[in-house]
Amino acid sequence: MSDIITVKNLTKTYTTYRRDSGFAAALKSFFKREKVTVNAVDDISFSIEKGTVCGILGPNGAGKSTTIKMLCGALFPTSGSIDVLGFSPARDRAKYVRRIGAVFGQKSQLIFDIPPIDSFAMNKAIYGITDADYKKRLDEMTGLFDVGDVIHKPTRVLSLGERMKCEFIMSMLHSPEIVFLDEPTIGLDVIAKNKIREVISEMNRNGTTFILTTHDLEDVEQLADNVIIINHGRKVFDDTLGSLRTTLGSKKMIDLTLSKPFAGSEINGVPVIAGEDELHVSLEVDTEQRSITEFLTSLANFSDITDISVRSLPMDMIITRIYTE
Amino acid sequence: MRYIKIYLTCVRVAFSQAAAYRTDFILGNIITLLSNILFPLVTVVIYANGAEFPEWSMWEVLLIQSVFSMSTGMSAMLTQGILWTTMDHIREGSFEVVLLKPLSPLFYLTAVNFSTGSLGLFTGGLVLTIVSASNTGADAGGIPVFLLLFISGTAVLCGLDLVMAAITFKWVGNSRIPEIFDSIAEFGKYPLGIFPKPLRIFAAFVIPVAVVGFFPASALLGRLEWYMLVAVIPCALFLAFGIWLYDRMIKRYEGVGG
Repeated sequence: MSDIITVKNLTKTYTTYRRDSGFAAALKSFFKREKVTVNAVDDISFSIEKGTVCGILGPNGAGKSTTIKMLCGALFPTSGSIDVLGFSPARDRAKYVRRIGAVFGQKSQLIFDIPPIDSFAMNKAIYGITDADYKKRLDEMTGLFDVGDVIHKPTRVLSLGERMKCEFIMSMLHSPEIVFLDEPTIGLDVIAKNKIREVISEMNRNGTTFILTTHDLEDVEQLADNVIIINHGRKVFDDTLGSLRTTLGSKKMIDLTLSKPFAGSEINGVPVIAGEDELHVSLEVDTEQRSITEFLTSLANFSDITDISVRSLPMDMIITRIYTE
Repeated sequence: MRYIKIYLTCVRVAFSQAAAYRTDFILGNIITLLSNILFPLVTVVIYANGAEFPEWSMWEVLLIQSVFSMSTGMSAMLTQGILWTTMDHIREGSFEVVLLKPLSPLFYLTAVNFSTGSLGLFTGGLVLTIVSASNTGADAGGIPVFLLLFISGTAVLCGLDLVMAAITFKWVGNSRIPEIFDSIAEFGKYPLGIFPKPLRIFAAFVIPVAVVGFFPASALLGRLEWYMLVAVIPCALFLAFGIWLYDRMIKRYEGVGG
């Protein structure tokens, strides 16, 4: 598949002001402020293939949202280049945004006091959607999200989940080729999250490319083909989800339930890394150094085990280690 | 055609939005209308007590002030909302929702911020203009020039709104700045002759607020002077400057931490 997004040496620098706490510092900063230059995004390059779902991960303040905003054309880069669908997003903004959609989990595009259907009608006029296309798309989207009645209630009375579903509809009525999602499932309950993920998967199957920033690793595990990790404004990982799982090597997590408390720091030479309590311990086995079969056989001598499970290394553990390295 | 359709849709949405709080909508318009009627009462009181603006009758001064109100109402309908919306977006770092629309941000904000509440101000101004004009023997032949100057005056007020809105991209949270510009605009409510000469030049050509009320009213009263027509040029320039500055400042938008 061809690349739909190409980013080269992208940098975004901000100038901000720093001051200490307290009245004296406030007074001092009133007369003289200490300027601080922040590299929100620092020389990152990547490309994204058409028709994929790409997850952009990173801790708070890593530069994910700044990257998404530059990809949407809302912010001008300080240096570097972005090519999306053949456009330079910030320079060609008015033409470019017609072909993309965006959902910002913490910023609403709906008008607060009136029902979403009125906001949709406004977007219909803005994007010049024909009556037939509008009706077809609206029926399809309200059906997918199951919000046929919800769109006629004032936005201010909707639950967060209902509002987010309507935000999705608002940004997809014009059938965008690429959709940027900035923390789309933030604060949602499991049912709403699953519904949104289902719709993203469905639309992705129909050819829409999604770029997604999130702190919810389930979003990434369930949706993303590729993952880019940004930390301190720099790209620290850029590959497939499968590759991310093995980035720390071939490791497995073994959870043991014991009949007697265990307070040791290792079992048969494998360190205990976590446990709910002294009756539940977890071990991380590097299978390149020791096969799972060999280790499980060695546990036969450890007579206190009442239950055992073997699983892949949890994604949050992998991500945390990449963040901290 | 597309832009007219978008504008009309946005105006319809603005009415739906205003109508969502019916009492607030009705009360807001009544209060605006009353305060608009009360302001000229000061002029009536001044003249009732024997004081006056030299060479200007009470109805003539009332005409200036009602044209000023009409122009203020018109500009408020068009651009006043842009100032407060921009200020909110910059402070909250949500201006990207504007930039995501495939339109000029300025056009989009003008359309979605159509202020239904300012209809009261415009209507009140219009009624008072008709009443005042009928009491002064205003000349109907002056209406074309009146309209030209009225549009020019409204352009000045719109330009002021845009300049103030543009400033918020740099100085976030400058909610008191409109007060300075409101004070400057006040010069347009009175006969220009009562001010010292430097102030007259300032109000006619630098920030041409005299075109908001005084010049159009003069056209209706048959008291038009050549320099009043020249003031149309700085009015157009002032609006153009506001548009240019706003577009330029959008590039400075930086958002907030996400």
